[in-house]
Amino acid sequence: MAQDYTPVPAAKENMGQPIARYEALQKVTGAKIYADDLPVPGRPAYAWMVTSGIAKGRITSIDDSAALAVPGVQMVMTHENRPPLGDAKTFSSGGLAITELAPLAGPEVHHDGQPVALIVADTFEAAREASFKLKIAYTEDTPTATFGSPGATQKNLKEVNPSFEPIRFNDAGAALAGSAHTIDSEYYTPIQHHNAIELFSTTAYWDGPRLVLHEPSQFVWGLKNAAAEQLQTDSETVRIKSPFVGGAFGSKAAMTHRTALAAMASKQLGRPVKLVAMRDQGFTHSGHRQETRQRVRLGCDASGKLTGYDHTQWEFTARTTPYSNGGLEKTAAMYDFKAVKSDNYVVQGDRNVPTFMRSPAEVPTVYALEAAMNELAAEAGIDPVEFRKMNDTRVDPVKGVPYTSRSLNQCLDAAAERFGWSRRNPQPRSMRQGEWLIGWGCSMAMYPTQMSPSTARVTLKRNGTASIEVAAHDVGTGCYTIAAQAAGERLGIDPTRISVQMGDSRLPPGPVSGGSISTASVTSAVANACDRLNERLGLPADATADQRRAAIAAMSMPELDATGSWFPAELDQKAVDALYEGGVRIVGGSTDKRAMYAFGAEMVEVRINERTREVRVPRIVGAFAAGHIMNPRTAHSQYLGGLIWGIGSALHESTEIDHKRARYTNDNIAEYLIPVNADIGEVDIIMVPEVDDEINVLGVKGIGELANVGTPAAITDAIWHATGIRIRDLPVRIEKLL
Amino acid sequence: MADRSPSFDQVSRRGLIKGGVAGAAVTSVQAKAQVRGGAENTAAEPTVQRVPITLDINGQHRELTVDTRSTLLDVLRHDLELTGSKKGCDHGQCGACTVHLDGTRTLSCLTLAVQAEGKAVTTIEGLGSPDNLHPMQRAFVDNDAFQCGYCTPGQIMSGVACITEGHAGSDAEIREYMSGNLCRCAAYPNIVAAVKQARGEMEG
Amino acid sequence: MRPFHYDKPATATDAVTNFRPGAQYFAGGTTMVDLMKLDVMKPARLIDISGLEKGRYDFIKWSGKSLRIGALTPMTKLADDDKVRARVPMLSDALWLAASPQIRNMARIGGNVLQRTRCPYFRDTSYEQCNKRKPGSGCAALDGGVTRHHAVLGTSDKCIATYPGDFAQALVALDAVVEILGEDGPRSLRFADLHVLPEARPDRETTLAPSDLIIAFSIEDADFPRSKYLKIRDRESYAYALASTASALRMDGNTIADVRLGLGGVATTPWRAREAEAALRGGPATEAQFARAADIAFAGASTTDENAFKVELGKRTMVRSLLETARMEG
Repeated sequence: MAQDYTPVPAAKENMGQPIARYEALQKVTGAKIYADDLPVPGRPAYAWMVTSGIAKGRITSIDDSAALAVPGVQMVMTHENRPPLGDAKTFSSGGLAITELAPLAGPEVHHDGQPVALIVADTFEAAREASFKLKIAYTEDTPTATFGSPGATQKNLKEVNPSFEPIRFNDAGAALAGSAHTIDSEYYTPIQHHNAIELFSTTAYWDGPRLVLHEPSQFVWGLKNAAAEQLQTDSETVRIKSPFVGGAFGSKAAMTHRTALAAMASKQLGRPVKLVAMRDQGFTHSGHRQETRQRVRLGCDASGKLTGYDHTQWEFTARTTPYSNGGLEKTAAMYDFKAVKSDNYVVQGDRNVPTFMRSPAEVPTVYALEAAMNELAAEAGIDPVEFRKMNDTRVDPVKGVPYTSRSLNQCLDAAAERFGWSRRNPQPRSMRQGEWLIGWGCSMAMYPTQMSPSTARVTLKRNGTASIEVAAHDVGTGCYTIAAQAAGERLGIDPTRISVQMGDSRLPPGPVSGGSISTASVTSAVANACDRLNERLGLPADATADQRRAAIAAMSMPELDATGSWFPAELDQKAVDALYEGGVRIVGGSTDKRAMYAFGAEMVEVRINERTREVRVPRIVGAFAAGHIMNPRTAHSQYLGGLIWGIGSALHESTEIDHKRARYTNDNIAEYLIPVNADIGEVDIIMVPEVDDEINVLGVKGIGELANVGTPAAITDAIWHATGIRIRDLPVRIEKLL
Repeated sequence: MADRSPSFDQVSRRGLIKGGVAGAAVTSVQAKAQVRGGAENTAAEPTVQRVPITLDINGQHRELTVDTRSTLLDVLRHDLELTGSKKGCDHGQCGACTVHLDGTRTLSCLTLAVQAEGKAVTTIEGLGSPDNLHPMQRAFVDNDAFQCGYCTPGQIMSGVACITEGHAGSDAEIREYMSGNLCRCAAYPNIVAAVKQARGEMEG
Repeated sequence: MRPFHYDKPATATDAVTNFRPGAQYFAGGTTMVDLMKLDVMKPARLIDISGLEKGRYDFIKWSGKSLRIGALTPMTKLADDDKVRARVPMLSDALWLAASPQIRNMARIGGNVLQRTRCPYFRDTSYEQCNKRKPGSGCAALDGGVTRHHAVLGTSDKCIATYPGDFAQALVALDAVVEILGEDGPRSLRFADLHVLPEARPDRETTLAPSDLIIAFSIEDADFPRSKYLKIRDRESYAYALASTASALRMDGNTIADVRLGLGGVATTPWRAREAEAALRGGPATEAQFARAADIAFAGASTTDENAFKVELGKRTMVRSLLETARMEG
């Protein structure tokens, strides 16, 4: 790490203060702030989920006698004896369930790791022991594992998602045919798993008809409604508690089988039940980033101006529920293309259902586009940074709508200056130090600015403090902190004097914590509540902090509260009402009115041992522009995490699948490799000032999913620069470079 | 220390005793329907052994009776309500359960509670409190060395040990000797900065 | 885990004389507890030897150029020992490049050499086929499984599971001897004879009797300041080797007087490349010679589509390790 590395940068232009996290002291002292740590009334029973060891087939018999004979075992629930359940709609059908398959629905097995039984015992050890003794017999059919496996079926995305439209903008084929330089490349991106360090847990207990669920969740209102629907109970009687989430990255947004399993078991036993899916079970429990194939044809004229862009994506998904990310409408908006064609297919097999994973659509599609941009720049003999700058656009070329703000070129300049990009010799294999080959590569990063309706209640107290209540979520993003900062600014109160409650479905509904929407959406609703309070205090919009403090001290009531709400310009009040039903409305990227994206530029140096070919990343520079930065401390950390995710995505992460058995084999975090501390060298983050007055109340863009987009393209380009070898399937493992 | 397999020939013989169902396993066996048995050992299988143990936890003398199978981590979390130590993998792969046993950083998920008998256990709760933070805890706050915070107790316990072991001499050494603690939010450079800050204070 | 009876004998003699069938010794527990949770190991008794005779088996003793190390010495202690690091860096490297600081604090060097494979089909009992777990059941890895991490040397048609450790490669290269306390009293065994190839019975990994307790390792000539352990892996730390080499050289002018080679990540057992050593002895320490020796070392390799790269990587790792060793101070 550079000696001048600054973990907590000072505020610059258009930034809030880098105050410490609201919950910092709790997190460093081991306070009980995560779902599985919360106390329950009475001694809980412990549940163990038993999952299938085959990917396709049918349970022919279950013998639970030995399992039930284990001292302390209270129940074995299987499809033969589970209570009735209602339907649960999946996310794409307006619900929250990860799969159309109900928990313990029947004897059919649709994927590896499908829950087939739940064992509940007085102790964790007894439950696990009983799982060894539960005898389940299957007949097994030949499963379809992945691309190229027998039985894989391909469909146009439009067949499973009627709202999908392939892009036909001018004649891409003709534009490519007339180009001075073209490339035609295929890329592969692997299966990845979120692997948050916090496991998937659910603790359930009933108080008469009332059900309390402690479950780490990215959407407590959604989970409350979805659980109620599945358990056929009134949503008003269900409460979700999830004060802080121990990492999610998309894996804790949907409702999995464990919620109903724990709730049913608790009801039957009349005591709290704690269910924790073990790490290996997590690989098949709550989705993954699906593997994709990408084919990109890209051309430019003799001067380097882009011409045609033709991109096809194939996503591998589940037979039961054809989840898809799509995303090619976003890559089509990135540069000044003259003609665009894109198609998207899903290929189905006997797999568990994929789900959102940090920048779901962007990671594979932008990797492919940016890798193609680097290849085309090399083909045309143009510096890849310059190539991007000269193809910048102020409008989404396909939709014809203007960007509310776009600072890609400023990011490229800032990163290039810090990195020393101008010293790059364009020739591959031109740099080395001893036996280490050195290469430099670059990429654009982008993420659509997305927003969702939100509400928030703010209470002012005469003693000069305030509180915020909103069922938003903190998955490590700093949401409590920035909500307090947003209110503090509006109310003239120091944010450390504002208490915040989140992660509880009894609070006014907030948005799903996904798609990087929380900061924009929650702060907008908080600001709205504060404006209402200020209005009731008779304060003008431009009141000074002193005037505000005086008005609060002079309040006739000890407390004054207001519930604010907000929705993005593309929606209306009905979207707020839908929040109370657990509904999700997200708008962003390119709408009919405007194009909303955050941008970044990433430059990376790799070192590759000439002989043994291990790849190391001694330094990476990322420059990002994302409107108003609420808190440079938490923003810096999100960018940092994103860049490191990008390194992991390029070099380490891949879930290996047994092609014969359609089962994940490295379903643990010793062999599913994420970067460790020793993998990370210098990380240099630049926050490029950007003002966007149009996008939302505070002018903020989501940043949590920005920095990990594009990084793999920068790294594969650096590897090419070091070795002359183009790798087009991720991750780049040693064997590909030998 | 001889981690040999138990006699597997016995297991397979056992497997033939009773027909009717296929053998079961951690996650139920991938079995064809032509039913090969998985009956339990009819010979004396050990019964659960519960033993009294004495632990010194965060300076407090605690006496309790534990199932010999219980790990120190589960006893901390389930029986002693010390939930600061985290279960991130239960197999010694993530470091979130790191505690100090007689001052040595140890994975509590791979330590049987009975093995901690008579030893001094220090968990994150015993390291410092919000109004009396250990220098490492303060350094983690100052350097934003966490995001979601779930790996943080293990990182902090590891960070303290990294210094007391004498492995915090350079950035490279800190990185290597903090690599047993995975951080999925990837706060690594900030963790290194925190260890450096605390090193200054701890070595005074 | 299944229930077991826990014993904590006071002395090694007690541990061995009271041993009963179905029991297992354990100290650090980093393999045992891991695999018991997976129901891969299911001992009826666990014999906790971690505190035998107050540290009597936790020692590092030099006598001239001979080194003797107690089996209950924690990996960390041996890795951090200054004299070991100076006189036989290969031993130290093989320890600190392994696992994580926490695991190295817990695991003792005796148990370390007996760690079990990471083959996913061995570690997950829901796979019906695993000759190592269930003799005669087949090998899922060879039957269309994922094999990128599997061995290319010392394999059989029954099993290709990789020996996962690092330290044992150094011990086998150094001609270490295993000191054992058995039911018939103490005896010793060449380390090279400790592990057995996965031929007819891949479940039998060592020549030890169940009640045999490893007491110490001794190395008659451990004076190899020009030695190292090079480990190539997918990430910089906390990962198993894809290929590794423990190499030691003694030079007589420009001629190789003695050379030792232990290979890891590529074989089913801690692998000594004896033919490669023989080809190098008496010759010059040149890259061409090293490359020729590497070809010899991997001549008998047997590969799958996924692990074929380990032959090339293994050779390159060996050559690099030898080149770097040759550059060290003798």
